[in-house]
Amino acid sequence: MRHLWRSAYSLPDIPAAASQAALAPCPQTPGLEDATQGGSLTIISDIRADVATSGAGARAGTAAGPGIVRIGLIGCGAIAQVAHLPAVLSSPQVELAAISDLDASRLQYLRRRYRLGPIAFRDYRDVVGRVDAVILALPNHLHAPVGVELLSRGIHVLCEKPLALTRQECEQLCQAARSTASVLAVGFVARFFPSTELTKQLLESRFLGELQSFDYEFGSPGGWSPLSGYNLARSTCGGGVLVVSGSHVLDQMIYLFGDVDVTSHADDCRGGIEANCRTCFAATVDGRPLRGRVVLSKTHQLPNRVRIVGERGTLDVRGSQTRSVTFLPSGSPLRHEITAAALTPASAEPDCFQLQLHDFVNAIRTGAAPRVDGEQATRSVVLTERCYAIATTLEEPWCEATLERLAHAGPYPPPDTAAPRPPALASAS
Amino acid sequence: MSPERPRRVLVTGATGLIGGRLCEVMALTGAFEPRPFVHATGSAWRITRFPLDFASGDLCDRASVDRAMDGCDAVVHLARGDHAVMRRGLENVLRAAVMHRVSRFVHISSVAVYGSQPPPHSVSEAAATRPDLPYGHTKLEQERRVLRYRRRRGLDVVILRPPNVYGPFASFTVGMVNTIRSHDVALVDGGRNPCNLVYVDNLVEAIFLALWRPEAPGQVFHVTDPEPVSWERCITDHAALAGADVPRVAAAELVPPARERLWRDSLRALADGEVQRSLACIPLVRRWFQWLPEPAKQAVRARLRRSEPVRHNGSLERRFRADHPFIAGQKRMVAHSSEKARRLLGYTAPVSYDEGMRLTEAWLRQAQILDVSSA
Repeated sequence: MRHLWRSAYSLPDIPAAASQAALAPCPQTPGLEDATQGGSLTIISDIRADVATSGAGARAGTAAGPGIVRIGLIGCGAIAQVAHLPAVLSSPQVELAAISDLDASRLQYLRRRYRLGPIAFRDYRDVVGRVDAVILALPNHLHAPVGVELLSRGIHVLCEKPLALTRQECEQLCQAARSTASVLAVGFVARFFPSTELTKQLLESRFLGELQSFDYEFGSPGGWSPLSGYNLARSTCGGGVLVVSGSHVLDQMIYLFGDVDVTSHADDCRGGIEANCRTCFAATVDGRPLRGRVVLSKTHQLPNRVRIVGERGTLDVRGSQTRSVTFLPSGSPLRHEITAAALTPASAEPDCFQLQLHDFVNAIRTGAAPRVDGEQATRSVVLTERCYAIATTLEEPWCEATLERLAHAGPYPPPDTAAPRPPALASAS
Repeated sequence: MSPERPRRVLVTGATGLIGGRLCEVMALTGAFEPRPFVHATGSAWRITRFPLDFASGDLCDRASVDRAMDGCDAVVHLARGDHAVMRRGLENVLRAAVMHRVSRFVHISSVAVYGSQPPPHSVSEAAATRPDLPYGHTKLEQERRVLRYRRRRGLDVVILRPPNVYGPFASFTVGMVNTIRSHDVALVDGGRNPCNLVYVDNLVEAIFLALWRPEAPGQVFHVTDPEPVSWERCITDHAALAGADVPRVAAAELVPPARERLWRDSLRALADGEVQRSLACIPLVRRWFQWLPEPAKQAVRARLRRSEPVRHNGSLERRFRADHPFIAGQKRMVAHSSEKARRLLGYTAPVSYDEGMRLTEAWLRQAQILDVSSA
């Protein structure tokens, strides 16, 4: 029997919605401060003064209105077009001041498609002086060099996940942000799903009782096709499914359960990047050990959910169901769908990329930390490095059982060894 | 001219079932150096597990095909796609292969060129082709284009015609399991006809041989498993994996294909007394019917009376469509033979049906398509 239950659990509003509500458009006339919004204006002025001092972006002569953050989009690939550009163009809090990509035809296409002015630049350095902040949607291996350069010039950066390929690069980015008091936010958009915050609150309120295990299973055949093809190689992507899909999982896992350590990791990498992996983790929650498992795939469909098991039942958080979570009480056939009090059943699906953008803008305006800052994002990169450092090979009998027989059909004698595993990343501990 | 024994091979369609496994085996055995041609990078996960020399682009873009062909000794063309890819894409690959003087062009076709009811003599490759479905027509047109390049440009081409390809990642395999689970397939007339299977690794062996054996150029080969497997065995084995039963029906009980249903359903509607009375009220229809000669009038009356409702197979809900691929396939009576490939290429089909199914089952369980706990 299925039972939908929305009202009995009285949960506070989720911070995402709260932050969105707090980000009302600023007054149009600086100086005429009112009681509620004057503070934020003052802080913006301070930030712009700092930026100008460091030779950065808030150059006079641009058209942005007061309080409007001038945004540059660096890297105009698939995620930029599908997610970031719509979020920026539909937001009253920001103005798209520049787009940049090496591919001139891509820039031309986007300018025509979105009727943009003369704001396209092939060299990302040309955006300096025209923007207050950038969204960095470049291939993963370029996050660190480009991000460090822009942060060092006082430009705030919202960097697509993962923050960088190694812990060392992450630390360079964080240091650059600190040195110019710039905001470094990281685009873990799943953190803006209402279901993520709801899960966090349920766990903190000990809704499930003592936690026993967690189990992530996320997979689909193929998926996102970056236009640059950076996802085809470890040198540009930093890893396989563990980086592409798993970075969201690892970030959420750390957010929900605190410090997590990897106990085993097996994947199907054969010298390139893995398409499948199975990883086991251990954490300590409320002084008690907690074990979990993560299964990720880019070759076949998995349930796309995390199941958190506690003494009172199981919490089922589905990737396709970002507004609510499902609770299955122990020893009961009932299923309870739990929604945050702020979300009515009829609420539209939130635009999480715009929530993320507004969180970034709020951090720029108020000096508050963004929901996912550089230090938090570094933790998932460190965990990824640990996984790769202890990686073993998944068993794939269908892949190897016939090789010897097939090799004889080739024109040359078969070589002695197959492709070796890549060496562990240098900074892995 | 590239060496007689090629080393670097451009593989189009590298993200598909055959292309993916081909690149895997090339990389793991070192027999060839694959250069996978990738259109959608998000579909390439199976082969990005290897540090390969990827070429990304669009087959319909001649420049990107030329770039990809540069430095290659041979080509295996597996790409499928829309009308443009199947025609212009193939043309671009053939043109680039000639320009770069590759030593071998292996084109993967299909036994679909014989149509859905292959002639009995299509046991061998010498039989006349007579496709009756769009896919078969396209594959035959491609074969002709490829052979034209041999005649006119001297390109060393080889055409392979596989039947149903099964194994890990195969849509035939996954489709069979899912269709059995959804109860959309039945054994028709005992499923006694041959299933015409090839395990994907056996096809890879044939491609390897076609790439370098001197006997191959200009030839067309069937590539099948040598062991005859009936539809009954194939469906029953997949049903055992899926943990489901498959019903048995007679061919006469099947729901006819849409084209036949169009006539039958129309006649059934006309047979309805109320419809006939309504039609009789329309002067034009009445006049038209009166103008018909008496034999024609009687034929129409008889046809309307003969129309019967479609029978259900033992229950009101369960009906099996005759045009479902796993049911239509059961009507094919011919077992295509790969004897020519064995004789000329030394094709051995090293993986037996039993071993192929064991390996397939292992993959189905790891991919969680089958229940892991019941292994």
